[in-house]
Amino acid sequence: MPSIPIIMPQLGESIAEATVVHLLVQAGDQVQTDQDIIEVETNKATMNVTAPCRGRVEKFLVTVNESYPVGAVLGYLEATKEDAARLGLDTLKPKKSEEAELEIHSLSYVEQGDGQRKKVHPTVSGLPVPANAAGAGYLSPRLKARMLELGLHAADLAGLPGSGAAGRVTIQDFEKFIANIEQHSLSQASSMRVAVADAMRRSWTRPLATVALPLPFDPLLKHRNASNPKPGPALYALRALGLALSEDRAPAGRLIGNKIVHPSSIDIGFAVEAMDGVLVPVIRNAEKILLKDLVTRYNDLIKLAHERKLPADATGGSIATVTNFGTFGLTWATPIPLPEQTLVLGMGAARRVPAWDEAKGQFVPVMEVNLTLSFDHRVLDGGGAGRLLSRVAQLMGAPEKL
Amino acid sequence: MSITYLEAIRAAQEKALADDARVFIYGQDVGAFGGAFKATKNLAQMFPGRVLDAPISEDAMVGLAVGAAIEGMRPIIEMQFADFSSVAFNQIVNQAATLHWRTRVPCPITIRLPYGGTSGSGPFHSQSMETIYAHYPGLIVMTPATVEDAYSMLLEAVRIDDPVIFCEHKYLYYHLKAERLPTEAVPVGKARIARAGRDMTLVTYSAMVHEALVVAAELATEKYEVEVVDLRSVKPLDTDTVMASVARTGRLLCVGEAWPWGGVTAEIIARVAAEGFGLLDAPPQRLNAKDTPVPYHPALWAAHRPTARSIAAAARNLLRL
Repeated sequence: MPSIPIIMPQLGESIAEATVVHLLVQAGDQVQTDQDIIEVETNKATMNVTAPCRGRVEKFLVTVNESYPVGAVLGYLEATKEDAARLGLDTLKPKKSEEAELEIHSLSYVEQGDGQRKKVHPTVSGLPVPANAAGAGYLSPRLKARMLELGLHAADLAGLPGSGAAGRVTIQDFEKFIANIEQHSLSQASSMRVAVADAMRRSWTRPLATVALPLPFDPLLKHRNASNPKPGPALYALRALGLALSEDRAPAGRLIGNKIVHPSSIDIGFAVEAMDGVLVPVIRNAEKILLKDLVTRYNDLIKLAHERKLPADATGGSIATVTNFGTFGLTWATPIPLPEQTLVLGMGAARRVPAWDEAKGQFVPVMEVNLTLSFDHRVLDGGGAGRLLSRVAQLMGAPEKL
Repeated sequence: MSITYLEAIRAAQEKALADDARVFIYGQDVGAFGGAFKATKNLAQMFPGRVLDAPISEDAMVGLAVGAAIEGMRPIIEMQFADFSSVAFNQIVNQAATLHWRTRVPCPITIRLPYGGTSGSGPFHSQSMETIYAHYPGLIVMTPATVEDAYSMLLEAVRIDDPVIFCEHKYLYYHLKAERLPTEAVPVGKARIARAGRDMTLVTYSAMVHEALVVAAELATEKYEVEVVDLRSVKPLDTDTVMASVARTGRLLCVGEAWPWGGVTAEIIARVAAEGFGLLDAPPQRLNAKDTPVPYHPALWAAHRPTARSIAAAARNLLRL
């Protein structure tokens, strides 16, 4: 049985409250709709509060001679569901908070065929914070302003789970995070470190993938030992990549919108470790100059890079990079292409491995390196990247032709 | 001693009449009858010839007041209900508001608007007109939320040389009580932090301040600290106080009993978005009456205007963003 509140009615235009003078019925009494049940007095007149519905008086919440404001609940009436529904009183019960919230955003209704009115759900419901805003995926204007002030980037918040809508990082989350960081020991990152971080962050906005293959290294070593001056191992890779790209430049193109932007010249960089970072000197027109004619230039550039004296025309504008992570003794890595490039060719450390010799019918020791090619998967697929890498390996397998 | 909001308005008028011989009150039934709401009770007897009954023509009432102001008087006009001030719209916005700008003659008139909704009062006795008048340059629009402000701001309204629209909320007339009247006043155009908090700024004015304070108390039990800013006057609008509060909290909810279209809440959000975008940690929100005429039926009326419940729901939504 629904419990119907008995409410102090608005008794006149300028009446705010009224004093209870008499209770005209007792709790437990049966009353009819509109029957006078409480006598109240205002500063203008004496009036009666009537029963909102047929039913039994459940309880009164008032004291005689006390004053109650308009809208106050004076008591409760127990009514049948039918009676309450007929008078529309069954909808007076407090709404669940979700319903109340929805109502704020949606005032639109449509008439249904059966005369029922049904809420129309707005096309964009709720509040305008994106649904995929988890973590630092969505930054509020305030958060952006604060991060700018502190020189932070979204990636710096990667370890911070958000407590806001859809898991977004709120300004409170952020300030707590910053306060916590200040309790740790801090050291200043070098400007080189910050520049590399910035390039890597920009690069990482793309879907990157890596393919790899093992390259028999003995022919190259043999060629290198017979050369004077000796070309660096990465220079073989650089020259091979230049030749491979001269056959088809498209894999080194950049995807901008719905266009592939083809490189205008085959300028290839190579990574040189410098103090707390990496520099990338560039060999221009790598496909046009023979390996033996590149050695001096290559060695000069490495020296200048170590001295941090690279001339402006020797950096930037390259379409791909070669990196010899083998110098660190590594056999495998997944380097990240520079943000303005699609490709990075990696070369691991040479090591002696057993290879099956069909003619001898036994394993023989051979030198081998891993070649890796990391690429922007928007531009290239595994097949295209694999074909390019195979071609590079093929060219490196005949070093006398480079 | 306990003084209601309505008694404070009466007391302010009594003091204004006593302090300055140029002050007089003009309105329908304000004389011997003491006004529809008794806001001028006994004043006609205390100040003979200075509390005058007007014909039922709001147009003529304000027209007379403008003329009297030109001649150096400081009239107080009582509209019986704010809703009927629209009858005097031409005199208010074309004559009173522009007089000083056209002629350098000040127009120190005070127009009292008993305004805002009460249950069952319907479309002609419930409207919130502050938005309309705030639109016009040359007018001051006051919206006091407390007994103290009702008193001191009405005195200030009479004292200053600008035409003032004084919006006194009918719902507060009897509900709101104070122990004593203030002796000092906060300057016009300065908002008040009605409750301090760090999680959200709730900007409102007039009767909605009290709904907002209920919400702030309720949300405090949920560990949210809501800062309530009482604008006091919607024009001039104290943008600095609002901006400083949003700088503390990062979240803004504006609540007004007036309709949403181009109103006070819209103005506040526009200013914060334009000048303080970088302060916002969540999209600014607002809650107004529904965009329909004010309904008669108490249940519809309760759904039409913002209430503590709907404000709390909007606030929780915003706090969860």
